[in-house]
Amino acid sequence: MQLLAVSINHKTAPVQLREALHLSDDEVHELIKKAKDNFLKEGLLLSTCNRTEIYGIPVNSQTTHLELQKFIMEYKSSITTSPENFQTFISRDSVKHLFSVTSGIDSMLIGDNQIYKQVKNAFNIAEEMQFVGLLMRRVFDSAIRVGKRAISETAISEGAVTISYASVQLIEKIFSNLSKKSALIIGTGETGEIAAKHLRDRGIGRLALTNRTFEKAEKLAADLKTAVFPFDTFNDHLHKFDIIISATSAEGIIITRNDVEAAMKKRSFASMVLMDIAVPRDIDPATKNIEYVFYHDIDSLNIIVEQNVTKRKEEIPKVEKIIDEELDSFFEWYNSLKSAPTIKSLRDHFDEIRAEEVEKNINKFSSEDRERLEMVTKRIINKILHHPTIELRKINERGTGAEESAEKMGIIKSLFGIDKPENNKEKK
Amino acid sequence: MLPVIHFLNILLPILYLGTFSVYFYDFMRGEKKFINVKRLFIFITLLIHLFYLMIRTFEFEHPPITNVFEIFTVLAFSITFSYFLLELITDIRGTGPFIIIISFVFQLISSMFIVDQFEVKEVLKNNLLGIHVINALLGYSGFTISAVYGFLYLTLYKDLKDNRFGLIFNRLPNLEVLEKLSFYSAVLGFILLTIAIIIGVIWLPQAFPKFSFIDPKLIGTALVWLLYGIGIFTKIFSRWRGKKLVLLSITGFVIAIFSTILTNFLSRSFHSFY
Repeated sequence: MQLLAVSINHKTAPVQLREALHLSDDEVHELIKKAKDNFLKEGLLLSTCNRTEIYGIPVNSQTTHLELQKFIMEYKSSITTSPENFQTFISRDSVKHLFSVTSGIDSMLIGDNQIYKQVKNAFNIAEEMQFVGLLMRRVFDSAIRVGKRAISETAISEGAVTISYASVQLIEKIFSNLSKKSALIIGTGETGEIAAKHLRDRGIGRLALTNRTFEKAEKLAADLKTAVFPFDTFNDHLHKFDIIISATSAEGIIITRNDVEAAMKKRSFASMVLMDIAVPRDIDPATKNIEYVFYHDIDSLNIIVEQNVTKRKEEIPKVEKIIDEELDSFFEWYNSLKSAPTIKSLRDHFDEIRAEEVEKNINKFSSEDRERLEMVTKRIINKILHHPTIELRKINERGTGAEESAEKMGIIKSLFGIDKPENNKEKK
Repeated sequence: MLPVIHFLNILLPILYLGTFSVYFYDFMRGEKKFINVKRLFIFITLLIHLFYLMIRTFEFEHPPITNVFEIFTVLAFSITFSYFLLELITDIRGTGPFIIIISFVFQLISSMFIVDQFEVKEVLKNNLLGIHVINALLGYSGFTISAVYGFLYLTLYKDLKDNRFGLIFNRLPNLEVLEKLSFYSAVLGFILLTIAIIIGVIWLPQAFPKFSFIDPKLIGTALVWLLYGIGIFTKIFSRWRGKKLVLLSITGFVIAIFSTILTNFLSRSFHSFY
């Protein structure tokens, strides 16, 4: 199978290059059109912030990876690359690479299941552009199955592997229902914003923001539809919150032990989580000694992240086993498309129908006619299948390309309902 | 029937040990595939245990509550059964090994020392006594489960405070859930013990001429009942929570254990039947 793949990803290229190569959906559409017009019959174009990849079956069997590389680089003419920025794959390795990408084991954040959705989206665009044929559809179906199995059968996507997710994981070890809790985010820089969005996604009951630059907090508050407190008075409101996440760029402590003690008294010592994800720290670490106060800083969150990354790495062999199983299954199907097995399946299929009908009606014939019935029906089947058999053999002999041959075999199998090996086995 | 009873008596601790091992292995490994295996083990163990209790009752013509080792086997069953229901209702996993180990210990002691008791005092064949004892045992099962969840709450609380993110952090449910499980188990235990006490207060003076309110078992039980009553009252009306409440539950459980040991093995009264 001449499936070519070219990839620029986090293993081969620096972030600037990956960013520069990132393609918007519109650009993907445009590039697919050009690829179809020039040298690819069918394929897939995947572009995320960490990878840009093109998979394709060339019209001409002489086409190589170099053409694919040149094709991308010509589209993004302002970028300079070197050969080591590219990973190239062919045939089984291309399919295997796509499976690895979809399962998340090739991601920068191992087990990141975002990529699974991105592959789906890339396939939808390819399908919309009629860039998907029999082979790519099958490759895609298998890739999606790999992604699903990796999530459900292994722990590759379990546990938080970013600081902001780790904070949420920790908070959820203390409180059971976030919809009944309230949170205050101090500092609305990038980290604070991500934390606020995570909490909102987890269904936090009440969310409030505060920031030294009030307008900045107001802007984010408008996006998230939350309340805003003036920075100089937020300390008076600490007792109203179950969760306080601080991520400012302040030089010193902005929440002291006394502030927290006073707040805890006001809230009758109901549990309070303090997440200090600022460097340098915003909250006095001595607050951890107050009963029912759960203080955590970036170091403790890093412990969780590292543990989860290690656990995910340990799951990689299980995912690789799934990939191998699906690869075998895919190529079993692909090989079944060759002409000899197709001719045999077709003949077996017709002969089964013949034998079934003969058996049903055998009693209507006298014993001396029964042998003749067998002979006549076999002769009819042979005559019906003579021409298709000759034509199928010719396709192979002409050597017009494995993909063309496979496609024709696929159509025949699909027409006669012999395209699923398991169906045939069941019948047998 | 006796050979079957004797065989099951040996088999039951093995089954509890097996169930505990599966739960413990799952706790250590945390693999999804063990969920059904765990439930199958606990279900089969409970089914066989129920069968054992029933054939004992029929064979010896009295419910298995006439001596402390019969009571231990009922207690092992009721603790595991209560946990099984809790696991099915709440779908909370990861706490099983801490509870099943208690059932295993009770069953092991019972299997080692239980005897075939055909002759029992007439008073022990009374139906009211059966209801009284069953309620008391289920009540104590509730307190046992409450104490286990209380202990797990304290362990997780300490781990969270000390930034320890090991197995306890990864496998146990969150603090609020552990507190709730501990509290509701205690409430259930309290209600059942209250019923047991009411039946006891009505029936005991009629059944025993030597009845006395200063009986050690009555005092011990009253103390346990009072402690849990105070805990539940303060939780509902004084907003006691967290560590204070679970410590109260653990204290109640320890007093219940000591009271049982003292009254059953050390002191003799009208309330001691064996």
